Amino acid sequence: MRKIYTTLTLGALALVVATIPLMAHHAFGAEFDKDAPLRLEGQIVKLEWVNPHSWIHLEIEAEDGSTEVWMVEGGTPNVLLRRGLTRDCLAPGTVLIVDGYQAKDHSLKRANGRDVTFTDGTKMFMGSSGTGAPGDAERLAARQARGRC
Amino acid sequence: MVTCARTPLADSRVFEVQRFGPLMLLAAASMLAVTPSAMEAQQTNERWVMPRTADGHPDLQGSWSNATMTPLVRPPGVGAVLTPDQVAALEGGQQDFIREQLADSDPDRGLPPVGGEFTGNFLFDAGGGAVGGYNFFYIDGGDDIAVFNGEARSSLIVDPTDGRRPPLSEEGRRRTGERFASQRQFGAYDNPENRPLEERCIMSFGSNGGPPMLPNYFYNNNYTIVQTADYVMIMTEMVHDTRIIRLGTPDPLPAHIRPWLGDSWGRWQGDTLVVETTNIHPEQNLAGYPPAAFKPSENIKVTERFTRADEHTINYEFTVDDPSMLSGPFSGELPFKALDGLVYEYACHEGNYALANVLMGARAQEREGVSNQPDTR
Repeated sequence: MRKIYTTLTLGALALVVATIPLMAHHAFGAEFDKDAPLRLEGQIVKLEWVNPHSWIHLEIEAEDGSTEVWMVEGGTPNVLLRRGLTRDCLAPGTVLIVDGYQAKDHSLKRANGRDVTFTDGTKMFMGSSGTGAPGDAERLAARQARGRC
Repeated sequence: MVTCARTPLADSRVFEVQRFGPLMLLAAASMLAVTPSAMEAQQTNERWVMPRTADGHPDLQGSWSNATMTPLVRPPGVGAVLTPDQVAALEGGQQDFIREQLADSDPDRGLPPVGGEFTGNFLFDAGGGAVGGYNFFYIDGGDDIAVFNGEARSSLIVDPTDGRRPPLSEEGRRRTGERFASQRQFGAYDNPENRPLEERCIMSFGSNGGPPMLPNYFYNNNYTIVQTADYVMIMTEMVHDTRIIRLGTPDPLPAHIRPWLGDSWGRWQGDTLVVETTNIHPEQNLAGYPPAAFKPSENIKVTERFTRADEHTINYEFTVDDPSMLSGPFSGELPFKALDGLVYEYACHEGNYALANVLMGARAQEREGVSNQPDTR
């Protein structure tokens, strides 16, 4: 049973892997600079829920004390909406932590949101209707108790 | 409270795989109907009455998804039909993977590593490159095995019986070689025209619009069908493409007119909608990913069959015949499952900063004398 899992999974993955460098929508490797890692912590000032790429605008405090607005690229919003995301989940002023990499053109204050979380490390969104993963209901209840979606 | 740390830290550490948020197979148990067992399906059908439109034909209208874990091409050494234990292992493994991906992160995490990092997960690394992608909760690639006529399938292709697309013909290899040679005249980031269709918001990767209409194993595998007595329209979420299928005796387009999704004509054969499509655009991605993908010739013909199987399912069958490109035809089967709610608008151009970022990044690197090749394995 384990063997078939491995075989089928790897087979499926192989189909995708062979082509993603050519076909990936985002071309992240071309868009962002692997030598420019960053960690942003700041509050949401704007959201662009555009399918297939959402962009979160965060106002952060730069090292010199000035404020900057950075754009953080995410994935498609349709999955989040279908799982119960509402405007209240990510209201302006909500503080997020982002780790990712800056755009290759360093004049752009843009980055990929490799991992976007609330300040306590919980994922920005998990989904109210659940993923079917074990413990979903418990995790959701705990998040809701903390006022999270 | 608000900070910005951009300087690489000497102690940048290796993050766990689950912290990398890129692409993959996942998670729409909430949006996909649970596949019933054959017995359950039979019981359901005993109570189910085929919905029909005013003109008496089966009503295919609504929102549907063809997301699935089952690959288009069967992996070597795997039987065509999976056992219940095998299905349980595959779907259970996927659930474990989902659980790992949704785990909390360390709120005190530092910068990701300079130079990027590959995760060891082929799919993540291929999609996100060394910089990773984005969080897993965005992903909806399908979390169950495709069940068709009560059989759990290990591939969507069923003919040839090995589950694989027939090889390119000699003519197909020649044409493919010429196309690659033409592309190699330019660098990958020299101009927008050299960027892939999906990055330019023209067509989906993975042959969502097709035909044949296939899942991409990432996200947005959703469709809306609207039907009249004279037309069937299929709106494909990615990239907001609408197939307009005319019903009746074909009056085909001239050979030189080749729309992206081709020229489709349909007819009812009993309770099955049969659609034949020719004139598909020569640059359309067909049959998803390698090793099955290819570019269609002027002689391609795709035949599709749509049959309502139960309240939650349309059985979708297809045959692709391109005698100029392939050494033989191939056929496949997969379920389209009812989707709760409407398909989200796809507004690719409105949010497509990525294409500009890619090209601007390449120009910036050229100014700096740095290679701008993709950071992918």
